Amino acid sequence: MSVEASPMAIPISADRTRRGSLRLRLPRVSRSVLLSTLTVAVLLAGWAIVTERGWANELFLPKPQAVWAAFVKTTTKGYQGATLLQHLGASLYRILTAFTLACLVGIPLGVIMGVSRNARALLNPLIEFYRPLPPLGLYTLLVMWLGIGESSKLSLLFLAGLPGIVISTIQAVTSVDPVYVRAAQSLGATRRHLLFHVYLPAAGPLILAGMRISLGFTYTVLVAAEIVAASAGIGWMIWDAAKFLLSDIVIMGLIVLGLTGVVLDLMMRGIAKLLMPWA
Amino acid sequence: MMKRLIATLAFATLALTTAVRAEDKPAKVTVGYLNLVNAQLVTKHLGLLAKEMPGVDIKYVKIGGGGDMLRAIAGNDVDFGGLGNPPTAIGATRALPIKGILVINMLDYVESLVVRTDKNITSLKDLKGKTVAAPFGSTTHYLLLQALKDEGVDPASMKILDLAPSDIAAAWLRGDIDAAWFWEPNLGKAVKNGGKILVTSGEMAKRGYPTWDIGVVMNAFAEKYPSYVDKFIKAECEGIDFWLKNPEKTAEIIAEELSLPIEDAQRMMKGTGMVPCNKQLTEEYLGTSAKKGKFVDTLVSTADFLVKQERLPKLLPRADFEAFIQPAYLEKVIGR
Repeated sequence: MSVEASPMAIPISADRTRRGSLRLRLPRVSRSVLLSTLTVAVLLAGWAIVTERGWANELFLPKPQAVWAAFVKTTTKGYQGATLLQHLGASLYRILTAFTLACLVGIPLGVIMGVSRNARALLNPLIEFYRPLPPLGLYTLLVMWLGIGESSKLSLLFLAGLPGIVISTIQAVTSVDPVYVRAAQSLGATRRHLLFHVYLPAAGPLILAGMRISLGFTYTVLVAAEIVAASAGIGWMIWDAAKFLLSDIVIMGLIVLGLTGVVLDLMMRGIAKLLMPWA
Repeated sequence: MMKRLIATLAFATLALTTAVRAEDKPAKVTVGYLNLVNAQLVTKHLGLLAKEMPGVDIKYVKIGGGGDMLRAIAGNDVDFGGLGNPPTAIGATRALPIKGILVINMLDYVESLVVRTDKNITSLKDLKGKTVAAPFGSTTHYLLLQALKDEGVDPASMKILDLAPSDIAAAWLRGDIDAAWFWEPNLGKAVKNGGKILVTSGEMAKRGYPTWDIGVVMNAFAEKYPSYVDKFIKAECEGIDFWLKNPEKTAEIIAEELSLPIEDAQRMMKGTGMVPCNKQLTEEYLGTSAKKGKFVDTLVSTADFLVKQERLPKLLPRADFEAFIQPAYLEKVIGR
């Protein structure tokens, strides 16, 4: 593995290590996959048994078949005027727009606050004050100010995502080793060089980690954002179905939300690997 | 030693008997009441329920609309509740463990479709391309869709938004919506701020779509404490009688409960129909245990409509809705 060790290792057992690693790696991957599958299978089986035996009230926990049927019906015929894909599209549009805006504002803000102590002192009270506010409390005010349209929904999601990005960016920038900065400065780097060639590359992995957490948080606020005056979106669909006690739609919506969340996170990780292979 | 044993025994017996007595008396009764104008506010204000149930901790919970009430019932958060006919049809179809025991009120112009005066909306057809709000799953959402259907207007030709009554009032003031079908005490805010009434729920009742709110009790509570269901009905009937006999004092109570000017309270009261308890057992309302009244018809037609709207999976047989209406408790209270 490491370059220093190889000259000694190669002549003895290049073949064996390869085979050995094969023997070791394959079972390891399949074992973790197996264990994960086992968890899902046990959950599904438990769900099926509980509902089949009639231990759970079908109103609260419908059968897996019913949830699947709801999924098929919503995908093909739609729920209240929009198909599942359209609901998902409406939600993803809100999430991704708000999250992109949060990144566009949050990362520069975090870098400035990380580099300059004065900027941090100026802006910290604001960020620190609104960060712990519960989103729903904030939402009532946003609806009064911005109305019931798309702008209040996007603002809520934006405000939910922003502090995580700002704070993790500040931390990422302040934890950059000052030796790197001084080394670059001694080579005559300008502020611009410092930012793009020292701070951002060094702080990148931590910033990306903050973005991942922030995206997750934005995602958790989605249902709340879609409660007021939406007519499409996965969160709205769940909320509306609950009013009519359609628990099969509610559970189906939650599963779709969960899976979409996982996919979004995987995509973020993929992007991170592409942009920062050194991380 | 012996003395101590006797004392312990005596204490245990005492504890046991009190425990048995506590069995047929609930420690706490939770009443979920809808945020609208009816005699439940009088019953609450005068503490009539507390008088009927001495020693019981009585808790009132204000609930915004039918959808929220259904959730509260499904979550077993209330012992008594109130539901309009659409949420009742939903609850009965989804087999919620509740029974309808009392007419809370009939809805007249306390619920109305209000339109913005400067938008030149003179008929439902003019709503095309406009933004209309109603709390989904409630009586007014049902009436809105029903009225549009009768006029031959496609609901998809306008933007229909789901908003809670208080949010409708706020959105109206901001100018985000052009029309809304909802109820007092928030309806008045829209009318006062550039709105006029286009259709009232009372007019829809004359067209054959009556809407009402019915008092419901959780089955488990009714089985465990049947006499307390009687006491609840008695207290509510007293409130209704007070409403009918003392309109001025009632207006004062409503004004205080909802923080309204007294003239508003008087106007809203006239828009709500109170049915005296002895009349509730007639054909027009609950009917009797032997022959259930027109409330069953309303429930069947409401459920049928909701099935067509794909809000309910299937239409249950009439017998299921008949079983939901339980005039037996009221019959006992009235003495029939």
